[in-house]
Amino acid sequence: MADTSTSSFAAGNVPASNPLSKKLNKILESRLDNDKDMLEALKALSTFFGENSLRTRRNLRSDIERRSLAINEEFLQTFQVVKNQLDSVYADVKAMNDCCQDMTTRLKNAKAQTHDLINQTTKLHGESQKLQMKQQVADTFLEKFQLKPDEIKSLRSTKSGALSQDFFQALARVKQIHTDCKILLRTNHQTAGLEIMESMALHQESSYERLYRWSQNECRMLTAESPDISPLLCQALQALQDRPVLFKYTLDEFGTARRTAVVRGLIDALTRGGPGGTPRPIELHSHDPLRYVGDMLAWLHQATASEKEYLQTLLKRCEHFVRIYKGGMFDADTDKLVIIGATDDTIQDILGHITEGVCRPFKVRVEQVLVSEQDAVTLYKLNNLLKFYHHTIGQIINPDAALLSTIMEIQDLSHRMFFNSLTCTANKLLDKVELPPADLGPTASLLHTMSLLKDVLQCHDSSVVTLENKKQDFKQILSCVLDPLLQMCNVSASRLSTVDMAAYMVNCIYSMQTTIALYEFTDTRQEMLSAQVDAHLDAMISEQAAFVLNRVDLAQIYGTIQQHQPKMGPLSSIQGLDPLTVKSAMNKFDSYLASPDSLTLPQCSLITSSKNRELIKKNSADLICQSYKLMYEAICDPKNEYREYQSIVPRTPDQVVKLLT
Amino acid sequence: MAAGPYNYSYIFKYIIIGDMGVGKSCLLHQFTEKKFMADCPHTIGVEFGTRIIEVSGQKIKLQIWDTAGQERFRAVTRSYYRGAAGALMVYDITRRSTYNHLSSWLTDARNLTNPNTVIFLIGNKSDLEAQRDVTYEEAKQFADENGLMFLECSAKTGDNVEDAFLDTAKKIYQNIQDGSLDLNAAESGVQHKPATPRTTLNTDQQPSDKGCAC
Ligand SMILES: Nc1nc2c(ncn2[C@@H]2O[C@H](COP(=O)(O)OP(=O)(O)O)[C@@H](O)[C@H]2O)c(=O)[nH]1
Ligand SMILES: [Mg+2]
Repeated sequence: MADTSTSSFAAGNVPASNPLSKKLNKILESRLDNDKDMLEALKALSTFFGENSLRTRRNLRSDIERRSLAINEEFLQTFQVVKNQLDSVYADVKAMNDCCQDMTTRLKNAKAQTHDLINQTTKLHGESQKLQMKQQVADTFLEKFQLKPDEIKSLRSTKSGALSQDFFQALARVKQIHTDCKILLRTNHQTAGLEIMESMALHQESSYERLYRWSQNECRMLTAESPDISPLLCQALQALQDRPVLFKYTLDEFGTARRTAVVRGLIDALTRGGPGGTPRPIELHSHDPLRYVGDMLAWLHQATASEKEYLQTLLKRCEHFVRIYKGGMFDADTDKLVIIGATDDTIQDILGHITEGVCRPFKVRVEQVLVSEQDAVTLYKLNNLLKFYHHTIGQIINPDAALLSTIMEIQDLSHRMFFNSLTCTANKLLDKVELPPADLGPTASLLHTMSLLKDVLQCHDSSVVTLENKKQDFKQILSCVLDPLLQMCNVSASRLSTVDMAAYMVNCIYSMQTTIALYEFTDTRQEMLSAQVDAHLDAMISEQAAFVLNRVDLAQIYGTIQQHQPKMGPLSSIQGLDPLTVKSAMNKFDSYLASPDSLTLPQCSLITSSKNRELIKKNSADLICQSYKLMYEAICDPKNEYREYQSIVPRTPDQVVKLLT
Repeated sequence: MAAGPYNYSYIFKYIIIGDMGVGKSCLLHQFTEKKFMADCPHTIGVEFGTRIIEVSGQKIKLQIWDTAGQERFRAVTRSYYRGAAGALMVYDITRRSTYNHLSSWLTDARNLTNPNTVIFLIGNKSDLEAQRDVTYEEAKQFADENGLMFLECSAKTGDNVEDAFLDTAKKIYQNIQDGSLDLNAAESGVQHKPATPRTTLNTDQQPSDKGCAC
């Protein structure tokens, strides 16, 4: 509005350079349309400036001032409220600050006060951790070196005396602890080590004691034909290996129980037989020695095999590490047993003990059979049977077992009885020597003995023993029978003529040869017999040749020619060798050549073997041919002065050979 | 703690009979070892093998006696019939003579075993079909007429071998259950062991492992 008043004022003065004119110019120059403030102000003015009158124009200034005042007052009022509120906020913040300051102070105090406590706590905490560690170590130690209550309980005996799986676990623990203590002893915990060891040793002693009693009891009950060997018992035996003496005693107990069972089994089989009597009791066949003894042996074989299996069952857990206790051999230093053998030895020991019981009842029975048996063949068969079973059962049980030595003894007895019987038969031959029969063949007693020998050798074909055995036996049997037999033949032939004796011997030996020829292992004997036959055959051959020469009157002539020497002069001049005599003899020889068989010794025809007969015939003919050749050459020799020698010996030696062979 | 293969409650004794060379030893070997032993040595007298089997949940130990078929051993093997619960009578399907001898073997078996002995006829070498000399039907009829159980087997391939041994055991076991086999009698060929552990033995044994593991 000042502008307005100014402009109205300026309208009358216009010097350009004076401030007024400047002002005026400025106003004049200003463009009202563009001046927004001016426009606003004018607009606001228009709201209350209604009537444009002098009064109103005069009052305008005060009006404006009034309005301005009112506005300011309003302003003031409004800000008064804001101010009040700010004041209040200020007060609050101040209070908070005070409060915080207070707290800080207090905290500072508290901090100062608790510092010690914290230090102390940290220290204690550290200690506690150390203690915890120690406790853990102690716990682990206890766990490792002490038995738990229930372990102790399972080790202690119960009223029933029963044993359980837990027992073995506890026992193993005790053993482990005991072993571990040795480590302790190497550290600086020797006192603890020793004490624990001692306590474990006590536990062990009482436990093994208990285990032993239990096992002993179990074993004692195993007397059924087929024992029920519980797995627990096998475990017990395994554990008892640590106490070799107890181990052995337990096995002994088992052995004794089984021994009783086997004896009872044999007696049952002998006397009771199967259900309803089938199979029949073995003793029912006691009249048939082979069957009786064979059945018993087969029973023993089966029983031994079964008992061995039971033992293997019992010791199945011990197999790999059992140390054998024999005769209390301890190595005191290490408390370990000297290893003597393997489980096999243990099994064999006990098996030997088990089967020992049946030895007596078995032996008594077989001895009875053997003693009352006279037949050599049956005795020999029994001997072979015993040999077979000695071998068969020997595959299951050791040779030093009582059962095997019993079988061996009986086998020896049967061997003796057999040879006794053979010798007896042979000796009877010598007791009353028969005269050779007229046909110069083997005597009846010789034939009888041969058939016995044949039977004996025969039963080897059906026998079950090894070849080696057979060889041994045959040698003995042959000499047992043949030696006295040959002796008998010689004695009975002693009063015969040479030819008769030779023929008789050839026939006797031939019958022996043919008997043994069928069997193995008789070669040496055969050779011996052949040599003897050959000697007798040779005798017969020369006898036969001599017989022929004699019969044709050439014997003397031949003898003289053989001994003739040139200085004695020509043959034809010697007495008995004159051409006439020689010619007559040669004539006879020629007729012999026509039928050579006509001049055979009667003994030669009595030779039973055609082969031998032929041999005599052939070899004697050879001899005759040789003699003829000698005579022929002598007669043809001009020095001997047989003038018509061709008429004396019309046949050449070759012709004679052809005719005779 | 496994009870092991020894945890059995019965022992059955078997005898294997038949002519030499029919494959008795091979059958035994096949059954106990599950192998064919082509160059099986001659049996001298008697030999035996064992195996544990299971019948109706019962562990049974078979003790099998193999005999020599040679005539010279006949007297010896006769002694082994006593006490046999089962007799396996074997012939060779490729050799008629071994089949023809069956009646003589059967006579022995009937005379020398107890009346309840189970006799099982086995025609062995069934793998040699091309050389067959005895028909299945003929042998089957023989078996039926004589009340024998019968199978053709091959010890070589193992075919039916297991069945022959097991069927025999089943039949014996059945006889026990029927009561026709008196276990208390001696030499029944069966030996019984109480199956349950004695009360004093509070063990935790259970028949866990499979039967025939030996
Ligand atoms: N192909 C064939 N050969 C067999 C069989 N069983 C046995 N053999 C053979 O027959 C022969 C005699 O067997 P072996 O068991 O000794 O007879 P054993 O005298 O009755 O004991 C042997 O050479 C075996 O290899 C079979 O099932 N098949
Ligand atoms: Mg065989």
